[in-house]
Amino acid sequence: MNININVNDNETLTEISVSGEIDVYTAPKLRETLLPLSEKEQVDMIVDLSGVSYMDSTGLGVFVGLFKNVRAHEGKFKIIGLSSRLQRLFEITGLADIIDISSKVEGDVK
Amino acid sequence: MENQSCVKILNEWDIVSARQLGRNVAKELGFGTVDQARITTAISELARNIFLYAGQGQICIEKMYKNGKVGLRIISLDKGPGINDLRQVMEDGYSTSGGLGAGLPGVKRLMDEFMIDSNPGDGTDIQATKWLR
Amino acid sequence: MDFRNMMESKYREILVNYLKDGSEQALYQSQKFSRNSMEDSIPPEEIVSMHKSLMIELFPDFTPEMQESFDILLEVMVGYGFAYREHQNLKHIQQELRTEMEIAANVQQTLLGTKVPSVEGLDIGAISVPAKHMNGDYFHFVKDENGSVSIAIADVIGKGLPAALCMSMIKYSMDSLPENRKSPTLVLENLNRVVEQNVDLTMFITMLYGIYNIENHMFTYASAGHEPGLYYNASEKEFTELTAKGLLLGIEKTTKYRQYEKEVSPGDMIILMSDGVTESRTEEGFIERETLLSLIEKNIHLEAQAIVHNVYKELEKLQDFHLQDDFTLIILKREV
Repeated sequence: MNININVNDNETLTEISVSGEIDVYTAPKLRETLLPLSEKEQVDMIVDLSGVSYMDSTGLGVFVGLFKNVRAHEGKFKIIGLSSRLQRLFEITGLADIIDISSKVEGDVK
Repeated sequence: MENQSCVKILNEWDIVSARQLGRNVAKELGFGTVDQARITTAISELARNIFLYAGQGQICIEKMYKNGKVGLRIISLDKGPGINDLRQVMEDGYSTSGGLGAGLPGVKRLMDEFMIDSNPGDGTDIQATKWLR
Repeated sequence: MDFRNMMESKYREILVNYLKDGSEQALYQSQKFSRNSMEDSIPPEEIVSMHKSLMIELFPDFTPEMQESFDILLEVMVGYGFAYREHQNLKHIQQELRTEMEIAANVQQTLLGTKVPSVEGLDIGAISVPAKHMNGDYFHFVKDENGSVSIAIADVIGKGLPAALCMSMIKYSMDSLPENRKSPTLVLENLNRVVEQNVDLTMFITMLYGIYNIENHMFTYASAGHEPGLYYNASEKEFTELTAKGLLLGIEKTTKYRQYEKEVSPGDMIILMSDGVTESRTEEGFIERETLLSLIEKNIHLEAQAIVHNVYKELEKLQDFHLQDDFTLIILKREV
């Protein structure tokens, strides 16, 4: 049960890539790492989840929080690299309609 | 003969002096080796807390004679930042240094009586007593 | 002091016997001795001290160096004793917390308790099992004057105590809006406002709210990001997903929800669930939707309550009796 968070934060763009499993145990780490980044005015944030093999609702909560924060700071928020399973999660929850998600990423298998 | 002697705690080596003082008094009063070891462990913990969190302070060892009983009291005094939530530091498992078994609840268990007084910004005063059985 | 003397004579016996014949028997006795001393919470340094004084007594020519070497061991063991006593106390605290959680779980059950109503022409089964003590899932039935039944099924993000606390808020809000119970969209829109104002940034709730009209057998429902339900068509022997779009509760202040309808024929079923059902995981991975459908199908001839019970039992077994998430399954079956 491990998680890897990579952040590339520069002036204009905040690129984040996450890999591993996002669940009750790893979500707090994700939350602590990413939430502060979303509090920058007009932040432009892209999160790549193509390395995520599992995510539960706690993980989804972290992205909801990120999205709300970015929106409150008039920034841009985008999630890429969703597997078909995660894509379904975003669709069921209605988040796909308000968060910019793109399932098309290189090597999206299955 | 004086009933109280003190050691200033400024660095880690002073912990050893405080232990030595405590052990000498404990021996003199007739405490057995097990209780000597407990008393010195309590002194170590208290002195270490001073050195880690208050920066400086002192450990005093007092011989106690009360109602025909003989005892040893450790007094730990510092003028450090003090403790905000006494209840929290007296709880097992709460330890900012993260050490196993470390902390004030352990000291309390090693000794017979324990008293703590602390005000934020005003330092901490701890007294722990062990009676000779 | 009697007790101490007893301990000491027992220890002496073991030590003397072992030094005489080196037998396994004596070693086994010492193992038993350690268990007894732990039961009586004798700290390790006491044992070392006892050992030292016995050695001095049994071997008058025990050198001072050998004697003093025990001082080191004693000092080290005081440290272990220190940790041991803390451990004992933490164990005690843990027991207290466990008891407290069990009481809280009971309080929650009473607070959130709902009776599965008996409705003529409709067979209802429901099961909800928390992964830990407290349940972050919630379901509620209300039967109104003309016999229609409204059903709420909700899931708070996460599990355990935080989820359960949040769920109590939902229950309270639901109770205080009886006048719009008849409109699923209004219920969700009202709850959404409450949740949006009262939850933490990363918290949300999913809910499906539906009303089963007993007169025309129409199931009217709306969903706030909830795990989709299933519809079983008895004449075609076919499952389809109950489509429903809608955003999670607590994300935006003014979310509007859409209402959907499904006509239910005799023998048909409406199946509602929390994601604890679809997110069931085994060693090999997720339990496929087909597995769930085949489990329902296998039990389809039974009463609704028996179906949900059996499906839960089988999924529990598949997961090695270790639930990953709170599990709720509801089945409404129109009687033939």
